[in-house]
Amino acid sequence: MKKRHQQKLVILSIGLVIFLNLPIIFIFNNDIDILGIPLLYAYIFFVWLLSVIITFTVLKKYG
Amino acid sequence: MASYVIILVIVGYLSLLFAIGIWADRRSKSKWVHNPWVYALSLAVYCSAWTYYGSVGIAATSGVSFLTTYLGPIIALPLWILVLKRIVVISKQYQVASIADFISLRYGNKRSIGALVTIICVIAVFPYIALQLKAVSETFDILSGSSKSVSVFTDSTFYIAVLLAVFVALFGTQTTDASRRRSGLIFTVAVESVLKLVFFLIIGVYVTFYLFDGTTDIYNQISALDGFEKLATFSNIEASINWYFMIALSFFAIFLLPRQFQVSVVENTSVSHLKKASWVFPLYLLLFNVFVIFIAWAGKLLLSGELNPDYYTLYLPLAHGHKFLGLMVFLGGLSSVISMVVVSALALSTMISNNLIIPYGFIKALNDSNPKRNAQRIKNVRRASIFILIIGAYFFYVNFNIELSLFSIGLIAFVIIAQLAPAFFIGLFWNRGSAIAAKTGIIVGSLVTFYTLVLPFITEVFVEGSSLITNGPAGIALLKPYELFGVDFMPPVTHAFFWSMVFNVMFYLVFSVLQKGDYRERNYAELVVNASSYGELQENAFVWRGEAYVSEIRKALIRFLGEKRTTRALNLFYRKYDIDPQEEKADARLVNFSEKLLTGSIGAASAKLMISSVVKEQPVSLPEVLKILEENKKTITINKQLQQQSHDLKRLSDRLKNANQALVEKDRQKDEFLDTVAHELKTPTASIRAASEILFEDDDMPIELKKKFLDNIVNDSDRLTALITNILDLEKLSNGREVMDKKQHSLKDTLHKAVDGVYQLALKKQVKIDVNEIESINLYYDEDRILQVFTNLLSNSIKFVSSKDGVIKVKTQLTDTTVLMIFEDNGKGIPQEDMEFIFDKFYQSNNQNVKKPMGSGMGLAISRHIIESHHGSIRVDPNFIDGARFIVEFKK
Repeated sequence: MKKRHQQKLVILSIGLVIFLNLPIIFIFNNDIDILGIPLLYAYIFFVWLLSVIITFTVLKKYG
Repeated sequence: MASYVIILVIVGYLSLLFAIGIWADRRSKSKWVHNPWVYALSLAVYCSAWTYYGSVGIAATSGVSFLTTYLGPIIALPLWILVLKRIVVISKQYQVASIADFISLRYGNKRSIGALVTIICVIAVFPYIALQLKAVSETFDILSGSSKSVSVFTDSTFYIAVLLAVFVALFGTQTTDASRRRSGLIFTVAVESVLKLVFFLIIGVYVTFYLFDGTTDIYNQISALDGFEKLATFSNIEASINWYFMIALSFFAIFLLPRQFQVSVVENTSVSHLKKASWVFPLYLLLFNVFVIFIAWAGKLLLSGELNPDYYTLYLPLAHGHKFLGLMVFLGGLSSVISMVVVSALALSTMISNNLIIPYGFIKALNDSNPKRNAQRIKNVRRASIFILIIGAYFFYVNFNIELSLFSIGLIAFVIIAQLAPAFFIGLFWNRGSAIAAKTGIIVGSLVTFYTLVLPFITEVFVEGSSLITNGPAGIALLKPYELFGVDFMPPVTHAFFWSMVFNVMFYLVFSVLQKGDYRERNYAELVVNASSYGELQENAFVWRGEAYVSEIRKALIRFLGEKRTTRALNLFYRKYDIDPQEEKADARLVNFSEKLLTGSIGAASAKLMISSVVKEQPVSLPEVLKILEENKKTITINKQLQQQSHDLKRLSDRLKNANQALVEKDRQKDEFLDTVAHELKTPTASIRAASEILFEDDDMPIELKKKFLDNIVNDSDRLTALITNILDLEKLSNGREVMDKKQHSLKDTLHKAVDGVYQLALKKQVKIDVNEIESINLYYDEDRILQVFTNLLSNSIKFVSSKDGVIKVKTQLTDTTVLMIFEDNGKGIPQEDMEFIFDKFYQSNNQNVKKPMGSGMGLAISRHIIESHHGSIRVDPNFIDGARFIVEFKK
């Protein structure tokens, strides 16, 4: 795997630190729900799933 | 449900695991056992009873914070391919068998640091194992409906603990080399990972869609309760500071927990498996967490508030009379306990034997013994550690019966393990981090953890209402364990984590620069930090100077590996470095190689002690070490360059050889051609001479005869002239001296001219020439020359078709960029083997035996040169079988 593609994953990791922490996570800190899932949980699960998909795609394409 | 039924099910389940383990051990090479999925799933040993039961408990009492345990790994996994790959590569090369081995390797194979890491790990994980057994025991009681058994011997958990110890001892200690993979054990862990996830999902679906009417239903009911906001949102900024630190904590844990290091590094069979794990494991964790909140809320809504929320997963189906589902939940929990206990005990027992017992005390006894007894002893030490750990953990739980949730004990373990983080992570990227600094950092960090977390925890249990927490030691408020230096806004675990890390990191960094490490330490530091560039140095990356004898080292190796393995390993080594096996003196490479060989069996520190006891080492200064490393690296690079150059030279000489061969062939062809030309020139010359002689000698010749002879002379002279013109033509064309007089002409007109030229010839042989499919196209070309080509092709065809029924057809084909002129005949065609050569000017000489009409020898060669001068091409269609088909291609 080329260095550039490895760095994509490092950036993903940095992105996860940013998007799963203060202050961004506070944007979703309210009592709305999506299909019975509180918004905060829905947001975290969404970022989580997105990271799985990105990792999968990067590794599939360049791994 | 009756106890004996549950016990029967447990025994059946454990037997199944044994069977799977044995099956997989025998097929360690098959694609079922050795594949990336097994590796990715075995990482899920991370999900212990803490995940299975504890997450629900936290979700039901304090809300979203249970996710932090998984978000750390989620952030870590994309880095897997980068960071863990390096650790795996180093570990494989140095036969690392545990995290203690790895850290002690990085800091110069010091036994003290290996021992320190081992002690930290045991302190952290031992109560954690106890907690797992507690979970088994409590869930067993819930399921059977009985209260806890008073005697140890009637307590089923005791027997489960014993069986687990047997299981680890059986699958984990088959060889003395602890760095070898244990496929059977890992396969069962992977199977258990699947089972616990499936069971948890089933119960999740059951709770959400059977007990309730989907997620919205649960949400609507729970959100009406008091205090619900606490469960779905952050109450304040402080809670989110906690969130941040907890994620950092679990980020460290996924790398540093002994069981995680065991499955992700030691048991890794191929670096490529890391790729699958990087996305499968986060996905696994996601699936595991989706239903947690709904189970927790359902428990809150349906069950009495007095029940322990940790076990809502089990209470829910039981409260609704679904005993079978309850049993399934219990088995899922048991699976997560088994895999956690088994892998942790395995990892810890290896650490205890290789980093604590053997280097401190046992090494001397091993040194004086034979290989068989040594192997048995090492295995016995490990087996004893396994039993002491698991059974000890059982008694720890029984006697202390800690009244705390699964979650908090797990977190304390995380904080203690996190003390290894600075030495581990910074040491991985910073070559100056020294052993003394690492030790100081770990010790100080652990003391801080002890003071801020473990001490108040213990006092709370034993001394009720102690003033330590509320007033601080001797009334000093600044030293209050939970509010050190007045930091009073963090929960205890975050608080302890924060302060211990601050002290740990600062001591590590400051000590590293205050005092420089010795040369050996620095040597290993360079190895680890520059693993990618020193990787190829292998044994050469180890700097060592002194006196050593092969026979001594050999003896030491035999003591642990046995005669056969030692010989095999040394032979491999000799072959790899091209060393004479008769050589008596050992060099640095052999010393390093032997250390590596022993590391798997007795640990890095003991291996170093063992080898240094049979060799006389002279100290080398630090600058020298660095210089030698740099030189070795350069040598490797130069070697590589030389190899590349010799490769290039070989390729060049091959090309020269080919060119030479081609030249020789051309030369031969030229000779033959000259022969032919001479021969061809001789024939008409001879006939001219003969005719002239007759005319000269015989004056009385009848006038008709005389005329005939003269006619012959004229014809032969013409033939000579034509021949010479042809040769000159070809010469001019092939040297590029001929200038083409290109003008716009019509191809159709030119072709008609050519047909007119050969008309007489065709008429004589009664050959039909069909030019009806010619389109009129205007192109730039030298008409005389192209006419020459067409005439040549037409007269060739006339020559080779049979008289009367011979047909020649000429047509045009247009493409976007080219114009094709196709000449077809129904003659005898061109033999396959000749097709490639017919355009060669020297080629015809190869067919000497076939007497050809003069002029045919060079016509095609000339034609090719003419067409190429027009940037076109001429070729034979090899697929045309009814005769010959020539294709002339012009660029538009």
